Amino acid sequence: MASATLSTPAKAGIRAPAVPAWVWALPPVALLALVFLYPLALVVQQSFQPDTGGTSIRPYADVFASEAFREALWTTVWLALASTAGCLVLGFVLALVIAFVPFPGARAVSRFVDVFLSFPSFLITLALLFIYGTVGMANGLWTDVTGAAEGPFRFLTTPWGVLLAEITYFTPFVMRPLLAAFSQLDTAQLEAASSLGARAPRIVRQVILPEALPALASGGSLVLVLCLNEFGIVLFTGAKDVTTLPMLVYGKAILESDYPGACVVAVVNVLISVGLYGLYRVVSRRAGA
Amino acid sequence: MLVHSRKAKWAVWALFLLLFLPLFALPLLVVLGASFATNWSSVLPSGPTTANYEAATRGEALQALTTSLVTALTASLLALAAGTWAALAAAALKRRSRKVMDALFVLPVAVPSVVVGLAILVAFSQPPVLLNGTRWIVIIAHTVLVTAFAYQSVSAAITRLDPAYEQAAASLGAGPAQVLWRVKLPLLLPSLTAAAGLCFALSMGELSATMMLYPPDWTPLPVLIHASTDRGALFTGSAIAVVLMAATLLVLLAVSRIRTRASYR
Amino acid sequence: MGIRFDAVTVAYDGNVVLDALDLTVAPGEVMALLGPSGSGKTTALRAVAGFVRPASGRVFLGDRDVTDLPPHRRGIGMVVQQYALFPHLRVEDNVAFGLKARKVPKAEIRTRVAEALEMTGMGAYARRHPRELSGGQQQRVAIARALAIRPGVLLLDEPLSALDAQLRSGMLAELARLHRELPDVSILYVTHDQMEALTLADRIAVMDKARLQACGTPRELYRAPANAFTASFVGNANLLPVTVGASGAALGTAELKIDTSGAAPGASATLCVRPHLVGLGDGPNRLTGTVTEIQWRGATHRLYVDVDGHRVMADLPELRTPPAHGESVTLHFASEDAVLLPAGVGDHG
Repeated sequence: MASATLSTPAKAGIRAPAVPAWVWALPPVALLALVFLYPLALVVQQSFQPDTGGTSIRPYADVFASEAFREALWTTVWLALASTAGCLVLGFVLALVIAFVPFPGARAVSRFVDVFLSFPSFLITLALLFIYGTVGMANGLWTDVTGAAEGPFRFLTTPWGVLLAEITYFTPFVMRPLLAAFSQLDTAQLEAASSLGARAPRIVRQVILPEALPALASGGSLVLVLCLNEFGIVLFTGAKDVTTLPMLVYGKAILESDYPGACVVAVVNVLISVGLYGLYRVVSRRAGA
Repeated sequence: MLVHSRKAKWAVWALFLLLFLPLFALPLLVVLGASFATNWSSVLPSGPTTANYEAATRGEALQALTTSLVTALTASLLALAAGTWAALAAAALKRRSRKVMDALFVLPVAVPSVVVGLAILVAFSQPPVLLNGTRWIVIIAHTVLVTAFAYQSVSAAITRLDPAYEQAAASLGAGPAQVLWRVKLPLLLPSLTAAAGLCFALSMGELSATMMLYPPDWTPLPVLIHASTDRGALFTGSAIAVVLMAATLLVLLAVSRIRTRASYR
Repeated sequence: MGIRFDAVTVAYDGNVVLDALDLTVAPGEVMALLGPSGSGKTTALRAVAGFVRPASGRVFLGDRDVTDLPPHRRGIGMVVQQYALFPHLRVEDNVAFGLKARKVPKAEIRTRVAEALEMTGMGAYARRHPRELSGGQQQRVAIARALAIRPGVLLLDEPLSALDAQLRSGMLAELARLHRELPDVSILYVTHDQMEALTLADRIAVMDKARLQACGTPRELYRAPANAFTASFVGNANLLPVTVGASGAALGTAELKIDTSGAAPGASATLCVRPHLVGLGDGPNRLTGTVTEIQWRGATHRLYVDVDGHRVMADLPELRTPPAHGESVTLHFASEDAVLLPAGVGDHG
């Protein structure tokens, strides 16, 4: 019986020289280098090459000196921070209800959240135009009811409009990891806590929140990075007075054909985003998410 | 579980609906409503029509739909192939090199898409590779952007894969290539299709890098939607947006059907 | 085909999990590796399969040194605790997997798959997927899959521990039958369950703390364990600290007449007596104490008796009038039923 099996292994007494594992990693890495790393390096290179020729930090000096850049930097950062905070609060509350005060259709709602994630962000701005736009649903309601000529809602073209759109679009990105974390939570813990006399707010604070912290941290930092990089929402508001770093990159490169300037802004944007994303990876790995 | 009294439960649900409906359900309904309207100056849209859809399914809109579908399909297949290869290769590496691979392949998520667009524009507008003005520059950008997601979801699936299957296959005499082809890939199939769906959806809605790169004869749907709304044709834009959402959903639905058939446990 | 471990040492990150194992499994023999979790028994099995690489030492299959051979070139059948049936393949394709990997001709694959499934009583389930089978059926398919490649060596890693008690005894009988049908196949059977080892194995290797503690036939290990760990892990045992005398040993004030050959008078030693060999009432070697607990176990009564601060267990055929809690009783055992072990371990459970 044994002899039949050995026909194959027996002739393989000498092991064929195996290809080391890193050789298999080379083709995809080379491809990535060609279409991503090399272009990125060129952007950095071009950011040091002003149109006047030569290599200098002139483009940086020019960009940093401009009022438009400093304002865009500030707008980008505060919008991203405020949106992230909003997403965290809203996402936590909504996920809490879906997971722990389930209602008929709660599953459908969490499916809907998944679908929501697969739509592009600018759809939200488009929708807000119909809801809060100068001749939209909310203002229409106001003029119908009060008889006034114009409605009071005209924040869409201000940073607040962008903030509302970003909170709406990115909240599901917080809800998804939270729902995953909540589904891991043993409901017996909640039952034990309430049998020991804890009321809902205390259970949320002392049992659920500690379990949710890793998911909140990783979801929050992902949203922060995505907000810093968001382009579609800002583009669709069409407002001249809301300029973020990605908008500035687009404007300088495509509208003004100022490539060195665009590359400088791009480098700054990449540094901020990649730094934060690195932090996110560290946090989420530590959290095991 | 958390709230026990009936009254409190209803209060919580009311709060939930109050937040959820206007924020998440309303925007999609509004876009849908607007796509069938000619005017919206009151609470509800007015002037019901299907003319927007006629505009959204012919001429440049139809061409944009094909453009988007071709781009998304090509980009997600390329990304799936590259991402899976990279994830499989990374899984075989030692800890430290694997971390380097992970960092490299998720970097495109952290870099703003606009910058990815700019970088590719800069790189492929000059020799040795001149692609500016061709459809390939758009497809390459989309591929770069979605490969990161494909890599992440496939490598997560590889980590979850029980090594017992590979070992059982090896003990039965299957070499590394056979283990990959006959055991690992079939077991990863559900995750691969999920990753493909994700990539497809992301590519269908990609606007930022595309705005930097698209040549006039390769205009994907999001760019067309922006062009429409920018010139004030909001209702036509809505109809095109609905077409975009429907196309994305249809493909996702098809993918999830394949996935259900491919999942064994 | 036999298996030979030649001073096999396995370490993870400097942590030795298998320490210089020397062990030979004869062709056609069933060897059980018995030990608690973390004893190194599974590591030993995985070293044979090729999934762990020894830090030093060699592994032989028959006369062949396979230490450097990758798993897929070893031609070994293996069944693990969770079966690892490929969920995407039907039962017949699972069983055919190893044959296809070996490029066996199609017609032969068909007959050998049918043969393997017939042998394990799973012929009727060939077209099913693993998820459509019960735990016991999956187990049979896993065995059929391992046997289909006609291995010279079969490795079984806790194959029954995922089954419930009733199925387990049925499968145990099944494995014994399979081994009678395939008398040339050596089986290495890893388990923590002494009943499985005693029932199935020709010899048992007892492992603890990364080391081989004892190796012998079940009867040898049971009747004359080499050390206290073996005595307590293979069957129950009373382990009592005694002082060796001129013609016997002393447990406190009790004089016991036992064979003390090999032990110097005055030395400390451990006396091992199996509970079911302890009788109630007067006899040759008497121990007197008070009953601390009585357990009725259906066919038997288990008495726990405190003898000078040492706990002695006695398994007695069901008693008509069992002694009361706290009652003073006398126990005895025959001299030839006691084994003197080197000292070191005190009162063991």
